[in-house]
Amino acid sequence: MSARGAAVNTGTPPRVMVVTCPDLRGTDLSAGPDPQTAQRHERVIAAVTGFCPDVEVVEPGVCAFGARGPARYFGGEAALAARITAALADLGVESQVGVADGLFAALLAARDGRTVPPGGTARFLAAQPTGVLAGRDPAGQDLAALLVRLGLRTLADFAALPVRDVASRFGDAGEGAHRLARGLDSRPLATRPPPADLSVAHRFDPPEPRAEPVVFAAKALAGRLHDGLAARGLTCVRVQVKATWADGQESSRRWRHDGLLSATAVADRVRWQLDGWQPAAPGEENTPGGIIALRLVPDLLVRATGQQLALWGETLVSDQVARAAMRVQAMLGHEAVLRPVLGGGRNASDQVTPIPFGEKTEPRLPAGRPWPGRVRGAAPGLVFPAAREAEVTDDAGRAVTVSGRCAVSAAPARLAVRGDPPRRITGWAGPWPLSERWWDPSAARRCARFQLATEDGRAWLAVLQDGRWLVEAGYWLSGLGQSAGLLAGAAAPDVLGDGGRAGGTSGRPPPPRTPAGRVGALGRTALPLLVQLPGRRGHPRRAGRRGGPARDRGARPHRP
Amino acid sequence: MLPALPALRGLLPRGGLARGSVVAVAEFGLLCLALAAAASADGAWCGIAGIPEAGVLAAAALGLDAGRTLLVPEPGPSWPQVVASLLDGCELVLLRPPARTPTSAQVRQRLEATLRRGRGVLLVAGDWPGAQLRLRVASQRWTGLGDGHGRLRACCAQVVADGRGEAAMTRTCWLWLPGEDGGVAVADPADLPFDVLQDPPGAAPALHMVSG
Repeated sequence: MSARGAAVNTGTPPRVMVVTCPDLRGTDLSAGPDPQTAQRHERVIAAVTGFCPDVEVVEPGVCAFGARGPARYFGGEAALAARITAALADLGVESQVGVADGLFAALLAARDGRTVPPGGTARFLAAQPTGVLAGRDPAGQDLAALLVRLGLRTLADFAALPVRDVASRFGDAGEGAHRLARGLDSRPLATRPPPADLSVAHRFDPPEPRAEPVVFAAKALAGRLHDGLAARGLTCVRVQVKATWADGQESSRRWRHDGLLSATAVADRVRWQLDGWQPAAPGEENTPGGIIALRLVPDLLVRATGQQLALWGETLVSDQVARAAMRVQAMLGHEAVLRPVLGGGRNASDQVTPIPFGEKTEPRLPAGRPWPGRVRGAAPGLVFPAAREAEVTDDAGRAVTVSGRCAVSAAPARLAVRGDPPRRITGWAGPWPLSERWWDPSAARRCARFQLATEDGRAWLAVLQDGRWLVEAGYWLSGLGQSAGLLAGAAAPDVLGDGGRAGGTSGRPPPPRTPAGRVGALGRTALPLLVQLPGRRGHPRRAGRRGGPARDRGARPHRP
Repeated sequence: MLPALPALRGLLPRGGLARGSVVAVAEFGLLCLALAAAASADGAWCGIAGIPEAGVLAAAALGLDAGRTLLVPEPGPSWPQVVASLLDGCELVLLRPPARTPTSAQVRQRLEATLRRGRGVLLVAGDWPGAQLRLRVASQRWTGLGDGHGRLRACCAQVVADGRGEAAMTRTCWLWLPGEDGGVAVADPADLPFDVLQDPPGAAPALHMVSG
């Protein structure tokens, strides 16, 4: 009794038993689990729940519970561990059990399947390398790498540093890691019980048989949960998800996360839970009745200490925007939502680096250097992610070429971008040679660039590289009122990697002629341009005589 | 009301982009980015969905804040949900619906309902029946290119706006987009780099045929 009292007084965390199933670990939650894994996972959790009702799922394949009570009931920690391992082996799942003081140490102990005796946790942790602090989040990995570089190779080294210095140097995250290294819980729990019912619930009427709408509702619920907690300056590290089925069954699971469980993260866990639960319901293939209620109960409240921002040069991302971006990321994948970062470079596509939302925003090529050889002047409004193939021919229909000394074989007269009908060229400039990274055979690039203006008022940045013409960028405001289908249809499959692009677009009928009445009195202007112009015999040279050179100050023809 | 660049205000019914409305531009191009630029410079977040070729550099030259821009180049078949999510976080969403399958009326209405609930503006590059405001370019001409010399300097374009309700009156405006200085300015029809009455390249001849 006295020993336990002393343990409580010094803040030693309680004994925790962790069960890990290596087969089920590392499954990416956001990718959506395959139903089979989800079912196995659910069976494992159900089996462990048979030994201790209060099981919390730390991450897929890893669950934890307080070991003191069950160990006493089953005759010791070793006996309990053996029973659980045997029970899971019956299910065909390999598992490892670790016991230690506190969740962090128990997770480490579970890696080797060992039991750290009570009071021995500090010694056990001291011998661990600093790398174990690197969790799944990038901040933890940064911190762990930094500590190694600073010469702190074991947790003992790190734990020996004064708390105050660690907190002032590494901030909140560093302080949490330091607590872990000392064998404490990463955050002190707010021992006050929640003053009010902070749980949120959604009722489905009629009952919802499919998982997707429930998951979607869970996202909104999680948003409400966070709003309610934030209003009280709290956040939670554990969420209990309770789903009630029409036939009265209830599925309840606790999910833990050492950072903050975002709305998307909660929704992912709800999906995991439902996918695992649905077929487990007895009876036919269809679960009887569907879900009638979903409730999220925040558990283990802690003070919200907020997120520390970089000192300067970072746009503040509000929670609302972050939530929207993360919701899209959950739908399409991490790489699907990008933030553009402006940098330097010689090509239009180099000067913008798209970076997945949530990652450090740094341009690939630094801005502020001179970048000789870049195309000056107005930036193109359209930069094709994959350059579009094209043919540029002269008056006689021969392909235009550029010699090694940068002499053009003939004036370009016609531009045929693949997928589009050919266009007559009304003005051109170039070639501007570019020889990039000749020292690196894999990235070397030698090409000649042209700016071409065509009869329909568009202008193009065309590149002649290895004898092939490519259109890299376009300069135009919009189509000339004609159906947007032609160009959009040609450009969109290009980037989607649709193999049937060429066949699909070239075999496509010409854009429908817009009925005159649709856009009111001006509807006639919407007639496809290429139908009208050939009869009008626009003069290609007028572009040069009237518009171009008159306003062209300072630019000289390129003489290699 | 989201702000618009001063030169574009003459085209918009109340001098800005009305919150909760859909603005359709015939085809994606610099005009779409110019419409988004002022709102972004004013602090709004801007989402760009379905337009992998959006020239962020050109948009930044017009005032768009790249730091407050989210790109979803390939929203895939579930693009309506993606746009609805973006509208939760961004005040302005620039969208090009997939060209291969026309957007169904049901999807449009659902997105419009989302739009009305929030405070955002949906800028569509493409066809969107029921858009409050529709913009298109009647003619455009780049200056600065000669026969083998020069470089693109400025673009002069005639932009036509019409729509429903208070936008029903057709408005027409000549713009320098971009001008020689990289900004956007209203062009004086008397000082165009080409003759309007003689067919300028890239102009539809209906300029002569407009009738009630």
